[in-house]
Amino acid sequence: KAPEAEEGQSQDPPELREQRARATLRERYLRSLLAMVGHPVSFTLHEGVHVTAQFGATDLDVANFYVSQLQTPLGVQAEALLRCSDVISYSFKP
Amino acid sequence: MSEWTKKSPLEWEDYVYKEVRVIASEKKEYKGWLLTTDPVSANIVLVNFLEDGSLSVTGIMGHSVQTVETVSEADPRVREQLAHLFTSADCKGYSP
Repeated sequence: KAPEAEEGQSQDPPELREQRARATLRERYLRSLLAMVGHPVSFTLHEGVHVTAQFGATDLDVANFYVSQLQTPLGVQAEALLRCSDVISYSFKP
Repeated sequence: MSEWTKKSPLEWEDYVYKEVRVIASEKKEYKGWLLTTDPVSANIVLVNFLEDGSLSVTGIMGHSVQTVETVSEADPRVREQLAHLFTSADCKGYSP
């Protein structure tokens, strides 16, 4: 589990420490995504565009965000995929 | 692609729990306590404690990160709060 994984035992081989760090970072990231499900999230896109939507899911490599109730300047889109390459940042309140 | 996406997990881990300032594409600037960096996408997750006691969580896409600088070192109280964030019972669905 996470707590003991955080203590980097310096005598361990570098590959092991690196793998442990990777696992801890990834688990936390996935948990942060899980906490975002169903919450309104505001996305900052390129060229100063801001949209809000309910977060649904993302793919393994975080290439797309699947959202619902996407509020766009042209109206509300019931379901949409936001390409992560179009996104600069996102924020939500857990 | 920024240098940030090329860092190793151990380098990313160095920033965990620290207060950082991130400069992203289009001169966007973000400040907050770093919770994690996704080793797959290099996305950064920052946490801010708001005055009303609530939290705000911001994710910055790894591809748009230009620079990350440390503003202050990990504070023991913040560290304690961040360590337990998103690991409560309502999130256990993910546990293997």
